[in-house]
Amino acid sequence: MELILLIILAGSAVTAVFLHDLLKSALSLILASIVLAIIFFMKNAAYAGVFEISVVAGLIMVLFIAVISMTKHEGILLRESGFPLILFPVIFSLFAVAGIFVINRLMLQVNAGNTLQGTFGQFLWEKRTLDLAGQAAVILAGVIVVLSLFRKGKEDE
Amino acid sequence: MNNLTLDLVFAAGLVFLGLYCLLFMRNIIKLLIGVEIIAKGVTLGFISGGFARDSVFLAQCLVITVIVVEVSVMAAALAIVIRLYRHNDSLDIRRLTRLKG
Repeated sequence: MELILLIILAGSAVTAVFLHDLLKSALSLILASIVLAIIFFMKNAAYAGVFEISVVAGLIMVLFIAVISMTKHEGILLRESGFPLILFPVIFSLFAVAGIFVINRLMLQVNAGNTLQGTFGQFLWEKRTLDLAGQAAVILAGVIVVLSLFRKGKEDE
Repeated sequence: MNNLTLDLVFAAGLVFLGLYCLLFMRNIIKLLIGVEIIAKGVTLGFISGGFARDSVFLAQCLVITVIVVEVSVMAAALAIVIRLYRHNDSLDIRRLTRLKG
């Protein structure tokens, strides 16, 4: 079951990259997000799954589709010709093997540390408080950046 | 091949696909799609690692942080894309040479 979901995830990510139409790419990315959220649910990570669906598949994709509709479709796929596609599986295999080797080595050093006590809310508020402060700061910074980018200047008037 | 290794293969594949997109695409929106795909690979790696090491709570906290940062980055980047499109009337990354020295 999980293998099928992973294949659908990879397939929708590939179509998001290689489709000519940007709108179809964005829709394919939404499918990838939903499949990823289902995988999260299967791994007992319900909160991450909810965030993936509501924020990534919802909010970010709405932003993407709004920007695609505000900009003219350029139609053609603008791809550099310097990278022969036949090398793609070879380099991908090297990348995957290196990733597995490095991450498996790193995994042995991670402490499993009794994090399953209590609820997720307690863990988030009591042990990861600094993360929450950082997230608030990042959101504030994002809002300020967007407001400053859309501020009307002399050129616009 | 156990579940963790399988997940890590697909996570590495997603990161590689995103890097490929960043390196070889010219459309700015496609580049942002590449960033999204890299983030998906990273979050899949986090959750799989957390599940395998019995630290799902910690993995979820990290994933939520990654998603929040991703939202801010995307909002700022898409706002920049709109400004650039109004200036250059194109989404081609190679036309953005005004800052070139």
